[in-house]
Amino acid sequence: MIHSFSRAKVIFLILLAVFLLWYPKLADPYFLHLTVTAFLAMILASSWDILARTGQVSVGQAGLFGIGAYTAALLYKWIHLSPVLGMFSGGIIAVMVAAFLGTLTLRLRGIYFSITTIAFAEALSVIWLMTPDFAGGAMGLSTPPLFGGNREQAYYLILALLALVILTVWLIQATRLNFAFTAIRENEEVANVIGINPTRYKVLAFMISAFFTGFAGGFYSHYNTYIIPYEVFGLGISIACLVMPIFGGLYTIAGPIIGTIVIKAIEEYLRVTVSYGHQIAYGLILVVVVLFMPEGLVGLWKKTILRR
Amino acid sequence: MDWASFFQSFANGLLIAGLYAAVTLGLTLVLGVMGIVNFAHGEMVMLGAYNTFWLCTLLKVDPLASIAASGLLLFFVGLFIYRFTIRPILTDPPLNQLLLTLGISIFLQNLAMILWKTDSRSVITSYSGMSLHLGLVHVGLTRLLTFLIAVGLTIVLVLFLYKARSGRAMRAVSENNTASWLIGINVQRTYLLAFGVAAGLAGASGALVSTIMYTYPMVGFKIGLKAFCILVLGGLGNIPGALLGSLILGLTESFVGTYVPEGSGWAEGISFILIMIILIIKPTGLVGTRRE
Amino acid sequence: MALLHVNHLTKHFGGLAAVQNVNFEIGRGEIVSLIGPNGAGKTTIFNLLSGIYSPDKGEIRLDGEDLVGRKPFEICHRGIGRTFQIMQPFPHMTVFENVATSGLFGRRPRVSMDRVGEEAIELCRWVGLGDKLKAYPRNLTVADQKKIEIARALAVKPKLLLLDEVMSGLTPAETAEAIKLIRQLQERGMTIFLIEHVMKVVMGISDRVIVLHHGEKIADGTSDMVANDQGVIEAYLGEPMEETGESLC
Repeated sequence: MIHSFSRAKVIFLILLAVFLLWYPKLADPYFLHLTVTAFLAMILASSWDILARTGQVSVGQAGLFGIGAYTAALLYKWIHLSPVLGMFSGGIIAVMVAAFLGTLTLRLRGIYFSITTIAFAEALSVIWLMTPDFAGGAMGLSTPPLFGGNREQAYYLILALLALVILTVWLIQATRLNFAFTAIRENEEVANVIGINPTRYKVLAFMISAFFTGFAGGFYSHYNTYIIPYEVFGLGISIACLVMPIFGGLYTIAGPIIGTIVIKAIEEYLRVTVSYGHQIAYGLILVVVVLFMPEGLVGLWKKTILRR
Repeated sequence: MDWASFFQSFANGLLIAGLYAAVTLGLTLVLGVMGIVNFAHGEMVMLGAYNTFWLCTLLKVDPLASIAASGLLLFFVGLFIYRFTIRPILTDPPLNQLLLTLGISIFLQNLAMILWKTDSRSVITSYSGMSLHLGLVHVGLTRLLTFLIAVGLTIVLVLFLYKARSGRAMRAVSENNTASWLIGINVQRTYLLAFGVAAGLAGASGALVSTIMYTYPMVGFKIGLKAFCILVLGGLGNIPGALLGSLILGLTESFVGTYVPEGSGWAEGISFILIMIILIIKPTGLVGTRRE
Repeated sequence: MALLHVNHLTKHFGGLAAVQNVNFEIGRGEIVSLIGPNGAGKTTIFNLLSGIYSPDKGEIRLDGEDLVGRKPFEICHRGIGRTFQIMQPFPHMTVFENVATSGLFGRRPRVSMDRVGEEAIELCRWVGLGDKLKAYPRNLTVADQKKIEIARALAVKPKLLLLDEVMSGLTPAETAEAIKLIRQLQERGMTIFLIEHVMKVVMGISDRVIVLHHGEKIADGTSDMVANDQGVIEAYLGEPMEETGESLC
């Protein structure tokens, strides 16, 4: 059941790809940096969405992000592991943690799963603060600039990762997995009775989501050259992971992407006007989405297109 | 065995448990009556704390006297929040309710940051440093008063739930809202009132929090998580359970703080670790819930 | 060998015995009804058979294979399909997708997505949902939603089909349609175990009837045998027969 692409879509994608590949030559450093952080956010948003497709609403993705960040930073500090391998390792470690946590939380429904994920991220934060000799504690860890400060290369790396995430989501939607995830999300007990093994798919979703989140964390630590527990394990990241896909439209490919673009734009504007508290927009958006547009921007778009 | 140390820890744990109980009462009430976990509960505590801080700083009002003010303010805030955001989603799936209250929580946290910056504020009174000697144990006067007031709040709530008409209505609705409706209880109004009362309790306990901890935008998040821990420990939606859970958390934090090396840092993490351990072993919480 | 053997099946909930020492068999190709007053334990038995609960004591064998302790999806793979008394189609999937999902995951050995798609369409047509493939369950009538449940259960190609009160809430015309469907299933070789309250239906289509009361089996035989069984009558009416002079039919 692979969708066949229309001509128009193919042409659009090719043009988009060309634009994206050419982009670093066109953009000035500020916008390039902005785009890199936007891509990073899209990766987090899409990975969160993958997990959410099985009904597991995580409010603690920062736990996995931080693990990825610190894995990369520590591996660099201890054995001078190259950044890209470090990021990859960050992803792998995050997967292992997710496999473990995912298995433990299988029986948790809805809110209790979410609360556990919050506790998970906060617990990691505390552990990190209390073990300064191991991982730098509150002072954080530094790494040298990624690729020697070459933002273009960083851009291509993150673009590649984003492409990989999108490909993964597309594959999930095009195969049986889509039905399994949706069935589990809608009614886990019935899904079980019709032959779907919830454990297998829930843990799988967690692991896939974790890999990209962890890798992204690793990228962040090298790109930003400096990480502290308060930030990488922080609630802000966990919230960002979920606001973007929810705003954009859950369980779609375009939703997390579009949601990220709009939110990042709002955030950039707020950041220059208000020094703290720019995440106030996130809170407002969540409330507005739940009350007035539960299917996000994508849902809104579909409704207006259909009405025409 | 250093008994003095032991009893001191015990006393400290008991006193802080009182505060935690006061904070958790409102959360328990809303969960019990409407089946909603209000993620923004901690932020209402935070607002109560800031209200007390400003009253104390600008108008020299004694913090413990401002409990009524903070409680009342948050009562009305609660009514407002309920009417415009909670009521529309009462029958929505739990995911929506989670996201909505989470959204309110984030909104309030950041609003506080914008209005009042991220500095930690302290509420200092003329009696802030004083302590009493009770046998082997030193008890901070502020902490003792806070504890007594918290106990008072609990008693008032229990009396309300058992003696007052609206309170009894809340208990009825929490047991069975259809039956309650059938016997003529205005369920909608009961929900509204319950949410308001819960917010008022949060505000009042916020006043208490401001005297014992620093007041800053994220204090609601921190204490909110402890309240979740207590919910999970003691009973999702029932008050005796919340009291028991508060005691367990308070004492555990205190003993860890005393006996574990560098314990005060680790004590902060106790609530998170407890949450994870309990939910993983028993996914419906230690005591389970009527609403499952 | 009978298709399903159940021996000494027992399940307690917090001290109360929902099902107590129940024994019965279901032969290949039979239509067997499970009846009893409300609270007798009928749905508990279905939940035990499909793996939602696990028994405290007892044996469940399907085609010789032991099912006790297995998870619901494993039991599904071994050949039991069921519908639910309170209908639970997946709300955000179309009729077609609901049925296809079972076909994709419930069958052993697994079958290609294309084949599942074709069979799902065929199944939907057969139960009468052929023109509603793209509809969403919330927009359909009760009868149609029941058809989704049945089609979804059939898509796993079960050896034993458990139907939980499919007739409730149906109009007489819809009931007749449902009876026809069940008979057709039997003609195709399906073994069916159904919980029903509508006595006319039960007596009309069952090869055998099992009666449950307070968690225990009190009768097991043909419709006539059971209808005239004193214990059964008392269970339903709550009084000794002499005083009421009524019989079940």
